Amino acid sequence: MSAIGRLLRNENQVYFPGLWKRALTVSAALLTVTIGALLFLGLNLGIEFEGGASWEVRSAEVDADDLRDVLEPLGLGDARVQQVANELWRVRAETESAAALEEVKIALADAAGIDQSDVTANAVGASWGSEVTAKARTALIVFFIVLFIYISLRLEWKMGVGALAAVAHDILLTVGIYALFQLEVTSATVIAFLTILGYSLYDTLVVFDKIRENERRAVGATAMTYTDITSFSLNQVLMRSVNTTITSVLPVLAVLVVGRFILGAVTLQEFAIALLVGLIVGTYSSLFVATPIVAFLKEREAANIERRIASAKSKDDGMDIGAELDQADRARRVRSTARGEGHRVTGTSARSATAGRPSVVVTKRRNTAGDAGSEKPPRDSAADRAPQGEIKPRPRKKKR
Amino acid sequence: MLKSAVASLIGTLVVGIGLLVWSLSVGQEPLLGLDLQGGVEVVLEPVDTPENLELATPENLEVAVEILRKRVDAIGVAEPDITTQTGAGTNFIIVQLPGIENQDDAVSLVGQTAQLQFRPVLFDLGDRDALVLVDLFNDFGPAITNGGPDLSDLLAGVVSDPRTAPADQSAIFSSLGADGSTPGAPVLVGPTQFTGSALSGAEALFRNGWEVEVTFKQGAEGLDLFNESSALCFKPDGAPPVPGSACPFGRLAFVLDGVVESAPVIRAPVFERRNVQITRPQGFSEQDAKDSALVLDFGALPLAFSDPADPEAGLVRTVSASLGRDSLDAGLLAGLVGLALVALYMIWYYRLLGLAAMLSLSLSASLLWVVVSYLSVSRGLALTLAGVVGLIVSIGVSLDSNVIFFEDLKETSRRGDSLSNAVNKAFPKAFGTVFWANLATLIGALILYLLTVGSVKGFALMLAIASVLDLIATYFFMAPFVKFLVDKFEHKPALFGIRTSKAADVTEVAS
Repeated sequence: MSAIGRLLRNENQVYFPGLWKRALTVSAALLTVTIGALLFLGLNLGIEFEGGASWEVRSAEVDADDLRDVLEPLGLGDARVQQVANELWRVRAETESAAALEEVKIALADAAGIDQSDVTANAVGASWGSEVTAKARTALIVFFIVLFIYISLRLEWKMGVGALAAVAHDILLTVGIYALFQLEVTSATVIAFLTILGYSLYDTLVVFDKIRENERRAVGATAMTYTDITSFSLNQVLMRSVNTTITSVLPVLAVLVVGRFILGAVTLQEFAIALLVGLIVGTYSSLFVATPIVAFLKEREAANIERRIASAKSKDDGMDIGAELDQADRARRVRSTARGEGHRVTGTSARSATAGRPSVVVTKRRNTAGDAGSEKPPRDSAADRAPQGEIKPRPRKKKR
Repeated sequence: MLKSAVASLIGTLVVGIGLLVWSLSVGQEPLLGLDLQGGVEVVLEPVDTPENLELATPENLEVAVEILRKRVDAIGVAEPDITTQTGAGTNFIIVQLPGIENQDDAVSLVGQTAQLQFRPVLFDLGDRDALVLVDLFNDFGPAITNGGPDLSDLLAGVVSDPRTAPADQSAIFSSLGADGSTPGAPVLVGPTQFTGSALSGAEALFRNGWEVEVTFKQGAEGLDLFNESSALCFKPDGAPPVPGSACPFGRLAFVLDGVVESAPVIRAPVFERRNVQITRPQGFSEQDAKDSALVLDFGALPLAFSDPADPEAGLVRTVSASLGRDSLDAGLLAGLVGLALVALYMIWYYRLLGLAAMLSLSLSASLLWVVVSYLSVSRGLALTLAGVVGLIVSIGVSLDSNVIFFEDLKETSRRGDSLSNAVNKAFPKAFGTVFWANLATLIGALILYLLTVGSVKGFALMLAIASVLDLIATYFFMAPFVKFLVDKFEHKPALFGIRTSKAADVTEVAS
């Protein structure tokens, strides 16, 4: 069976934790580059943010295309050419220097067949005022705080950390690419960045919801670590992530390709790139940034340390995680029908929590019993195998 | 079960198509932005008095730009282009509004270009005859500063010209008439205490009746200025007018372009909080409260501009699109090609389910069209090229809620459930996921909407609308439609893109 074939039948068994280290290294390297670019190169802001110049040309002889044609060689292909009255044309563009201002003036006068002195030049202020930016900045801070609280209430704070880290990762990468390649940031680009923000958060929450669901199902199935659960969950959502990325990216790709070949669609390119990068990175970060962070934080919980020990100890019974979760589901169903909720806290489990954090972090699923380390506490071996018809309460700090 | 699904399906279709037909039949359609369609521009030049020109600093112009933005684009979707321009030593503001046919509409949208002034009331001439006035004048005359109007002007009803009346002298202005348009009795007001730039906003609220709540800016720029005036004006309830005082009647007039909009009594010497209520003994009517709030909210220009409607001073003209029509065609073509590819992929991968997703998408796209058209007509929403493409992309993203459901459905069915069982199990779970994730998006959108201005605000609004439409289409259309399909083709999982394999053949016994 090819990997794609397995994926299509949802029989994919990618062991994600094995990829995390590499993925995080790549992300860290990319972030270093993009943050560096942001700090040292800065963003190439468009006329909306920095202002520019405006020239007015009075002539009956020209049209917008003529004017665009003379502006193009001057590097002002994205200038705004507008007819403001019958024979009056206004051109707005960014200019680097006074010399460039003069140069444009001469070119425009030539094109219009009028005297240079009849071209009026004005300085244009930023249309995207500093107030818009300042308010957006405050709003973003509030956005992060409120959503952290929301995720903490709905899921848990560790997932809040993971989700917001992933969102920050995506935004920094996308914005950083604009700094790195000095692509022009227009107001449309900023909106694209915000779109990424929303998408990235949404995508991560969908993945977390699955992890959370499996975490609940795994109560009672001890032969797996928390990391195993996340890996299993990621496999479950993998096809969804792939398909959602495809359906989101196709229209953006179409915009880039069509925009490339049809004249005058410069505006489209400017923000389609942000969307393309952001959508791909947004999906990637849910699987390879948000989830590892959550797994790392969660593996420190006493219950999950216990899980790790139990999982290391248990022999590979040939069941995969899905089957074990199904078994746990059935066991729970039997329990709830029987209504006899015989919780049993074993003395050993209490001891194991205090036995000290194991120094070996289990990064591979299904270790054999032999290499599990020496610090496993003595336990009743029957309880270690995936117990049937018995629920082991996990000590929990808080729920919801 | 199936019956309710079919009912929901038909209900949603009827509502969706009904709304679309209604929207088309009343002729609502999305407005295209300045880049695609052009519009009207209004040039605002500062009034040419030395005093006013001094105020025309770049900082003040930027404040004015933000106020104008609020006026023409309160909810951030109109995509106006408002810039300051400097040439030959003069500063001016150019406001461009998309797609407006009637130039007068543009002028009324840009609104009052005068400065809002707060001046103490020296005399209110309403309901008073000349004899009483003479008495009053003798009592309170000293409060009138040198150079201001005198009693004879007052009695003759001569009103000061707001363009020449200096801010630091008293002046006679007419008050707003009872019906809001005709001039009412003249009022003699003292020098300007502070201007509208001390306000950060105002809104009409209903508490024990309609009232206007004004919010001042913090500290020396706002509340402190107001408190100076309130200390000057405050008198205990029922106390007689104070002869010789700069604010003998305890009333502070709001003057806009030479008209006293209202002149409430100050009820406290010091206001601690930035929010101040304006009430009337007989109560505001809803319309009055809203009109007053509008004047206060939008009247805070830091300097006065010449009236654009004035044929001698004003400049209002039509402007063309800044991008060619071919750009829109390119954007639309790109979007359609993209969506067609998406449709092909969804139907290839999910078969009948893909079809359901695309129909659900058409439904939410139609609803989006209705909402966008409605906002275009009512709030001046305009679609720029970027906006059009953004909407198309958001449609692709919204397919995710379908994909989540379909993947859950396949997984459940692979675990051995019959298709219809799987639908009933998978949908609540998938919808839960989609709901909570969309709720996070909505919360985020709400924060951005409340705290930002301009196109960021507009973006937040569109994001919220898209999320809600997505939830509606998923819950009321897509899920019932899938139930219906599953009922019809229960035993043909291949039609649903469910690839059977050995693992799935082993039916587990679900107890």
